[in-house]
Amino acid sequence: MKQLHAEFDVLRRRFPPGFEPSLVLPCLRRIQEERGYVADADIDELVAYLGVPRIQVEEVLSYYTQFRRQPVGRWHLQACRNVACSMRGAEGVIEQIGERLGIAPGETTPDRRFTFSTVECLGSCGTAPVVMVNETYHENMTPERLEALIERLER
Amino acid sequence: MVEIFIDGDRVEADDGQTVMQAARASGHVIPFFCWHPALSVPGNCRICMVEVEGDGTAQGWLDIACNMPVAKGMRVLTDSPRVRTRRKQMLELVTLNHPVDCGICDKAGECTLQDYHYEYNGAPSVSRDIKVHATKHHALSDRIVLDNERCILCSRCVRFTREISKTDSLGIQNRGDHSLVRASEDGAFARDPYSDNVIDICPVGALLSRTHLHQARVWYLEATPQVCPGCERGCSVDVWHRKSEWKLNRLDAGANARIDRVTPRENPAVNGPWICNKGRDLAKIFERPRALQAHLKGRVVDADAAVVAARALIAAARRPVALVSSWGSNEELAAFERALGKRFASYVKTDWLPVPGERIEDDLLIKPDKNPNRAGASALYRALDPDGRAALAGADLVLVWGEGCADAALPSGAKTIRLDAWEHPDNARADVFLPVSAQTERNGHHTNFAGVVSGFEACFAKPAGVADAEALFAMLAAVALVEAT
Amino acid sequence: MNSVATGRKLLMTFPVTALSHTLEEYCARGGYATLEKVVREMRPEQVTKEVAASGILGHGGAAFPAGRKWGVIKLNDEQPHYLCANADEGEPGTFKDRWILENAPHLLIESMLIAAFALQVRHAFVYIRGEFDLPYRRLAGAVEEAYAAGLLGSGVASSAFSCDIVVYRGAGSYVCGEASGLLTSLEGRKGYPRNRPPRLTVRGLYQRPTVVNNVETLANITGIVRDGAEAFRKVGTAKSPGTQLISISGHVARPGVYEVEYGYPFAKFIHEDCGGVLGGKKLKCVIPGGISTKVLTAAEIEPLTLDHASLVAAGSGLGSGGMVVVAEGTCMVRLLQVLVRFYHHESCGQCTPCREGMGWLHKIVDRIVAGEGELDDIERLIAISEANDGTTICGMGDAAGYATIGILAKYRDEFEHWIVHGRSKHDGRLEAIGAEWTVSEVALDG
Repeated sequence: MKQLHAEFDVLRRRFPPGFEPSLVLPCLRRIQEERGYVADADIDELVAYLGVPRIQVEEVLSYYTQFRRQPVGRWHLQACRNVACSMRGAEGVIEQIGERLGIAPGETTPDRRFTFSTVECLGSCGTAPVVMVNETYHENMTPERLEALIERLER
Repeated sequence: MVEIFIDGDRVEADDGQTVMQAARASGHVIPFFCWHPALSVPGNCRICMVEVEGDGTAQGWLDIACNMPVAKGMRVLTDSPRVRTRRKQMLELVTLNHPVDCGICDKAGECTLQDYHYEYNGAPSVSRDIKVHATKHHALSDRIVLDNERCILCSRCVRFTREISKTDSLGIQNRGDHSLVRASEDGAFARDPYSDNVIDICPVGALLSRTHLHQARVWYLEATPQVCPGCERGCSVDVWHRKSEWKLNRLDAGANARIDRVTPRENPAVNGPWICNKGRDLAKIFERPRALQAHLKGRVVDADAAVVAARALIAAARRPVALVSSWGSNEELAAFERALGKRFASYVKTDWLPVPGERIEDDLLIKPDKNPNRAGASALYRALDPDGRAALAGADLVLVWGEGCADAALPSGAKTIRLDAWEHPDNARADVFLPVSAQTERNGHHTNFAGVVSGFEACFAKPAGVADAEALFAMLAAVALVEAT
Repeated sequence: MNSVATGRKLLMTFPVTALSHTLEEYCARGGYATLEKVVREMRPEQVTKEVAASGILGHGGAAFPAGRKWGVIKLNDEQPHYLCANADEGEPGTFKDRWILENAPHLLIESMLIAAFALQVRHAFVYIRGEFDLPYRRLAGAVEEAYAAGLLGSGVASSAFSCDIVVYRGAGSYVCGEASGLLTSLEGRKGYPRNRPPRLTVRGLYQRPTVVNNVETLANITGIVRDGAEAFRKVGTAKSPGTQLISISGHVARPGVYEVEYGYPFAKFIHEDCGGVLGGKKLKCVIPGGISTKVLTAAEIEPLTLDHASLVAAGSGLGSGGMVVVAEGTCMVRLLQVLVRFYHHESCGQCTPCREGMGWLHKIVDRIVAGEGELDDIERLIAISEANDGTTICGMGDAAGYATIGILAKYRDEFEHWIVHGRSKHDGRLEAIGAEWTVSEVALDG
């Protein structure tokens, strides 16, 4: 991801001196935005660029739910399963996605178009139930709106 | 100084100390898993909780002792009913997902979790739910096996590689009860020359030596103080071997007289609580094929005949040169000086050079000189100049004591007397060869690079027919002395 | 946006439009005038004094007096100080900081600059949870606007005071909402909370004195400094001055974010201002301040007012104001199941009682739901909760314990029922009654 180094240089200058380790999270996010996931070679490069221990990057990648070291489908459907969403139909959402796409949470469709995950509270309880598709919240889900959403994504 | 009270005892603590430190310094026992005197304080195991008594206005409270600064007048209780309850709860939780497979775990008998369970809990598990399962036999490196089920995630191993060996090569992946200790994927842990220290500091049987796995129960073994010969640091070590009452009747007698493992013997003046992996592998040094018989140019003779032949060579020599072992103990070196020092022009040689791939030096323990008693030898003898030509030029008899001097380095016309513990092809070419005992078979002292003198004790009996070099020097000298007078 | 009469307003004082978050609109509302006054006329100690005098309590859940936290920072101690706005908002039921980030990002920026001035902070951060995309873009956009207008960077508003703000995105971890976990994450590592001592105001970000404040707490600072502590104290109650942004969700007709003056009647808020229970059903109970606060029954909330003292006296807490309304007929066993599953998922894994305890709680409740519970499992849940009370590195262990003990204290019968009969007392229902899914009556966000 050498083409990102210029961007990282700019980012680095926004932090105070000595804050190089802090760049691990934003750089990984940026790399993942470009590639769709973080590859082993990306880790090597980032470690060399920042001068942080490799283990730090590996730990961070394994700890945070939003980082992944494997690609996901074109559309990552993340359905909240926490309390307010569950009380407003999240279990129905999860069931409907599963039936509609033929995959269980944690799986990807064979054509690699959809990955399906259940996630914890997204901070959108007032518009529950909520499904996050890639970076976007889709709130106030209903069976109809969910079907319409999936159809749109399929096209 | 800060005056505090621990279990009613008045304790003078140092400013900035924690209650844990003050307690240990004053002989009070507080249990701990994650705390270690040489590592940073993570405060994660929670077993060291103590009670601080209220002062009448405020209620008493409990908190971990390892992170509790001493405060003037504080009254700490390490064994109150509330502390006991908490301790038992924490132990229950630590053991909740622990496999409790002590029956097949090498750590049994020296396991902190076992000890604390019997002392502070003692009850069977109260859970009726399935334990969390994880990797049972993960190769953390080619030397160390990790059992993640036994691991209590104290993070001592991680902190060791971060703070002591500074390879940053271990970490904890994932989170919650799916957390797993893992080595970084670039193989840095396998290249860490201090990696095996994590085996010692692991409070449970999660990190184990692959070499010693399932070789012996710890209660069959005893530890003898020794000094590592791997370099001139001369780390204090414990060499573990079978107790005499636990020797097995086996076809291979070697099992009863072998080094089962080597661990650090804490020595603040030399190595603290650590050693490097070379010290762990002392068996690789000491258990090489031994020289067991005396030779005269390859012809096996009994030791007396070899001594007689050697005496004759010494008497006849006009320019005898001795190459003295930098692995010799202070006692042996002094004995050589007494017996043969006047007869021979004597120089200290380099028995061992660094082997390819071996770390030469660092600012932790490893020193560039791979010979344990250079300092002791240099106190009595001159150094052999770098290639030895000047010292050996014109010598007609060379006495080579110890390893590291091939025939090729010797003047072609010179006679040779060799004394060595281990087999080498050159032994059979020597005019006289006499086998000698190894460091693990005698008592003695080495002086390290900083002048610290450390003692070691015999772990094993000498093989039959092998003498101590110290005794041999005197025997070789008998005629030489007569000659001189 | 709501215009209900839940008391006086300090934050929701303008109509939310497509542009109300911009610099232009914020300035038209008087924005950044207070900052100008502060950097030209005031000394740092004066600002802190005013904040302390206001008595404002933290809005992140702990309700610690903000002025007291600021007061620990030693001025002129020749080392960097840091300020961090906690925008991690991960407490289930809470979504009010999001309102500020999306609709009033400049209020946050101005307030942070005033706070940075008071605390001698040269570099300030906003730690925003990774999942918040629109809030992030709004905030980052506002930060760029502020830089362009000379309100951030070197020489703020052409004064001698300089301050940079970096917006730092998290990546999915609830404990990064805990102040010390947040800072550890900001240091580029796993979000592992830290033991205290030392307090973060003594050794925080990279071991330097750091103030971490909730977004809503900070958002109030501009108003406090503009109008004075006295004026602030006239709103709310003596012990809880000011207002709280309440996030209300669950089986309620009009979920959303409401600004409520402290002291406002609890039952009135739910039954009138928020439209009451969905579908006209009876109220069963309310989780008042985020799932880590103890549940209160419909009867118990009747005499209560929305402020910290009232709820603490009732054995619960207002916490982060994340209110979840539960209708009659909801199964509390299944509700607890969702909660312990969450805590299990979010445990960082450092300390023994939480790491092992959360999984244990989860397994036991799962087993009860599967029809394989025993009556003493209830005692076990309580014992695990107790073992996490005051024994952990951070408050998450305690929180899970309170949630568990709170539900068991009032709905033990449902657990006993499931254990004895092998099924829920309420058909295992979590969803709003009488509807497979329902859409709330609140207008959809643009």
